[in-house]
Amino acid sequence: MNVHPRARDYTQSSLGKLIPDESELTAGVKIEPGKQYGFFTDTTVCIGCKACEVACKEWNNLPADNVGLTGHSYDNTGALSANTWRHVNFIEETGGKGVRDNDQNPFQSGWLMMSDVCKHCHHAPCMEACPTGALFKTEFDTVVVQQDICNGCGYCVPACPFGVVDVSKADGKAHKCTLCYDRLKGGLEPACAKSCPTDSIQFGELSDLQARAKTRVKELHDRGVHTAYTYGTPDGPGATGDMQYLNAFFLLTDRPEAYNLPAAPTRPSNRIAPALTAGLMTLAGLALAAVALMASSRQEPPHGR
Amino acid sequence: MEGVITIVQEGRFQLSDERGVSHQFVLDRAALAETEQLRPLQSRQARVRVKYTDASGLISLIAHRIELLGPEAMERL
Repeated sequence: MNVHPRARDYTQSSLGKLIPDESELTAGVKIEPGKQYGFFTDTTVCIGCKACEVACKEWNNLPADNVGLTGHSYDNTGALSANTWRHVNFIEETGGKGVRDNDQNPFQSGWLMMSDVCKHCHHAPCMEACPTGALFKTEFDTVVVQQDICNGCGYCVPACPFGVVDVSKADGKAHKCTLCYDRLKGGLEPACAKSCPTDSIQFGELSDLQARAKTRVKELHDRGVHTAYTYGTPDGPGATGDMQYLNAFFLLTDRPEAYNLPAAPTRPSNRIAPALTAGLMTLAGLALAAVALMASSRQEPPHGR
Repeated sequence: MEGVITIVQEGRFQLSDERGVSHQFVLDRAALAETEQLRPLQSRQARVRVKYTDASGLISLIAHRIELLGPEAMERL
């Protein structure tokens, strides 16, 4: 086990103050403004413990919602919402490799588990749709909603291709994962990544994470898991439609749709020009047709002559 | 409910009452307070009175009005 040399400076169980640059000890990365940070979620090691959900709610003081039984296996939060910024998907595989099949590979569970979160897109569609500038890119290349500027118009909600942003019915403002902006400013690793017991959620500099993901995919392929691939890395699935890449990306072993992720997300802003052109052309066509009709009716001789 | 604001995140805050019990609040959209006013209250550990209602489908209370109590309220007057 690799222990950072600085960890030896903090052996006492109770500390009087915050450890400077604590993320260096917990995530192996020093958080500095101007660099790109994100999450690499390796779903092959997710055990569905929901520690990330709890840590997120605890740190961000988010209230519990969806009180009661959902009826969807072990899933009690249901989906990402204004009050749930991390959501663990429980996908029960059916067909050739499902848990209800008689024939199964040994030591394979038939369950897919994935901790979903805001993708902190490079070209964030929510940010492009925001009319007040409440959504902005931070110095850590993450996307955050400024609560005092958000007017609750909700344009960001349909703009997000992943269905992440949600407007709270309680305070009427848009909410989503901030990638623990306040923690990053204090040199702390985001709460969900820090609490993950299997390191399924890894926090770090984007280039490092992408390299780590590439190595992990190769390792899985070598071990016979040929279905493994990354979702949201440059030129890969999830980074389609001019999205370029996602700061929070995933390692998956099934189709994106199985994890409730879009197969080919796009930027809605790219559809404005063709939609506007089509609209203007329709208008021009209708105007031409009206002029032609009026001209033909004038040329017709009056009845009875 | 009266107490001290101990945690603030955006428009959400936690209030510790006189018995030391913590209660979670979300600032109502029409509340007589803004999100940026919460953090100074927390850092000053000011005693406040919160007028609230229950939230439906949420384990939280909806804060409609926050009033300063104690010496700080007198100073303001």
